[in-house]
Amino acid sequence: MKHRFLLSVVFLLACASLFAQESITVIFPKHEADLSGAFASRVKEFEASSKIKVNLIQMGWDDVNNKLTAEMASGGSAYDVVEFDNGNVAAWLGAGWVEPLDSYMPKGYTNGMIPGLVDLFTGADGKLYGIVWNNDTRFFFYNAGMLKKAGIANPPRTWDELVSQSKTLMSKGIAKFGMAGFWKAEWALANDFHFYAYTYGGKIVDKQGNILFNTDPNTLAAAQEMVKMLKEGVVDPASLTYDQEAVNNIFLKGDVAFLSQGIPGIMAYAQDPARSKVIGQVKVGLVPGGKAGMSAALTLPEAYAIPKGSTNKANAWKFIEFMTSRETNKKLAQQIGILPIWSGQYTDSDLVKLYPYWADFSRQMATAKGLAVLTWYNNFVDVCIPETQKMLSGKLTPKDALNEMAGLLKDYAGKP
Amino acid sequence: MAIRLFNPLTMDEPRKLGITLVMPSLIIVFGFLLLPFLYSLVLSLMNYDLARPKGNGFIGLGNYIHLTQDKYFLNSVVVTLVFSFASVILEIILGVAIALVMNQDFKGRGILRALIIIPWALPSIVNASMWSWIFNANYGALNALLSQLGILHAYRPWIADPTWAMVLLILTNVWKETPFTVIMVLAALQGIPTHLREAAVMDGAGAVRRFIHVVLPMIAQIVMICGLLQVVWSLLHTFELVYVITRGGPFNSTDIIPMRIYWQTFKGLRFGYGAAMAYLAAIALLIPAVFYIRSAYKTTVE
Repeated sequence: MKHRFLLSVVFLLACASLFAQESITVIFPKHEADLSGAFASRVKEFEASSKIKVNLIQMGWDDVNNKLTAEMASGGSAYDVVEFDNGNVAAWLGAGWVEPLDSYMPKGYTNGMIPGLVDLFTGADGKLYGIVWNNDTRFFFYNAGMLKKAGIANPPRTWDELVSQSKTLMSKGIAKFGMAGFWKAEWALANDFHFYAYTYGGKIVDKQGNILFNTDPNTLAAAQEMVKMLKEGVVDPASLTYDQEAVNNIFLKGDVAFLSQGIPGIMAYAQDPARSKVIGQVKVGLVPGGKAGMSAALTLPEAYAIPKGSTNKANAWKFIEFMTSRETNKKLAQQIGILPIWSGQYTDSDLVKLYPYWADFSRQMATAKGLAVLTWYNNFVDVCIPETQKMLSGKLTPKDALNEMAGLLKDYAGKP
Repeated sequence: MAIRLFNPLTMDEPRKLGITLVMPSLIIVFGFLLLPFLYSLVLSLMNYDLARPKGNGFIGLGNYIHLTQDKYFLNSVVVTLVFSFASVILEIILGVAIALVMNQDFKGRGILRALIIIPWALPSIVNASMWSWIFNANYGALNALLSQLGILHAYRPWIADPTWAMVLLILTNVWKETPFTVIMVLAALQGIPTHLREAAVMDGAGAVRRFIHVVLPMIAQIVMICGLLQVVWSLLHTFELVYVITRGGPFNSTDIIPMRIYWQTFKGLRFGYGAAMAYLAAIALLIPAVFYIRSAYKTTVE
């Protein structure tokens, strides 16, 4: 009888401990290169080592962003670790939606991280609000096979060179177009606007939020180049209907010779016969600039952050620390080729052997810049999309389009 | 009087039972409809900007006044009107025509009646994704078909052109919504007494005159109800369509009001401004809604 009682108590305690297991809820988008569930595997490793159960939610970027906006606005506590996109930094910090991580992370935790990635998620108060999980820097890819066939020795160094090389490729029937742009009426068009401006040394706004794009001659030159490439038929005229995925596919199909803002995973996709008709032909080059010697890349990092409403902040940090550690970062790089957030890993012998083109990535990353950090960035995008499309369609001149944008944003000018 | 009616002490048993039975519905209606409706009204009178909370507060009609000067919102109003009226007119004409054909006796009529409902029954997102692929500049069936027929010599990026983008969106909406009109009108056609048609035939009326003088008056009420419902739905049910196919582009040429509300509220995080837009849209919808209720009531009474 006594034994039976003891056994029952032990059983009940075991059940209770099962139910009492700590858990956190994590939401972030599925990485485009993660076709094998590499992130989910690392999450399982975290669960095994920490004994903290993770309710993992992974979906498309837009879906995550929409879900989070509603949740964060209501001050809810549904999530403990959330996706924190670089484009949302100013708005989210302005709204006070995320927790500073400084009190959770060990001193010097970010030493050795790529400085630009840390800076982008640091608030005006000097506190760090997110740790990058996706070093989403974009690179310039070209089809070396096509260039060789056309007798072109080197990839273009300037946009003008790209235009003339494209014309050669098109006239010889080697490529349908030089390039395609993701200029559909969606968020990424504003990214491309930044990208072209940066490659000309252009400026969008200053630190006080004053509008510069309509008075800066370099930004105007960049806008004129976008229009010129479309007008001269170098860029696919259907670009106004393309999103980023469509542009990547067109490049991998071998219809165009250049991909101006490709994700790092393009090199892997280019070797996959199920996705690519350009196996063994794709190389990485420096992004062409407005003038020789100029180059710039756009970086769109995504971080993990802890919402103010989370009730499991300490465990949330444990998750972030595990997922962004050097060890996990290297494993993910080896498995699916994500770009590390730790500078030292670009010279790691295991990784260099696996990805020899990372040396080129590393050179480009030194020129990488993020999007304009503004609490009204979303309003900027709302205006940038239609006015840039009007400019590309020839409804407005580049100068008029930039002035129109500035006019529509006048209420926000001067507000960071 | 009102106190006496709802006083539980003086209330008789059947009334108590009635109120008890109605209460769950009232709570749901109040909690899920009326409360958010009133809350969003309050929001629409506030500057409620999540990204810049410092300036938040009551601004009275400020949002509504600002809307009258908002170039993109005014563009959305025009776009929505063009989209709605073109869609509804086509849906009614096609719906009545198809219903008249399907009211005839022919082989396979039963199967056709079942098939015709498919576009309407398809979830909007599926419908939108399917048409998005059909209009695709490189792989789309529309370009392939027109090329094979010799109409096109090179593939066209249809959605890049503002006029074509609007035309194709309207046709997509018509494809989805017409079956509803067909089914409703078909039901009305079957309710027309046979002797009326026979009498018209005996009087020597041709098909057109029979349609104008016998059929049309008998189905006019239902056609009107369909039209009013379609006006309301063209504003409420088309967000997915526009979001998937054009995202409101090129250069806001297909930016219907729900897209604008979505942008301002969930992308711009200006909840007060978004609520004001939604209120104006709701007020605009009240007009066809009132006509609909009156027509429906009239039909019931008759």
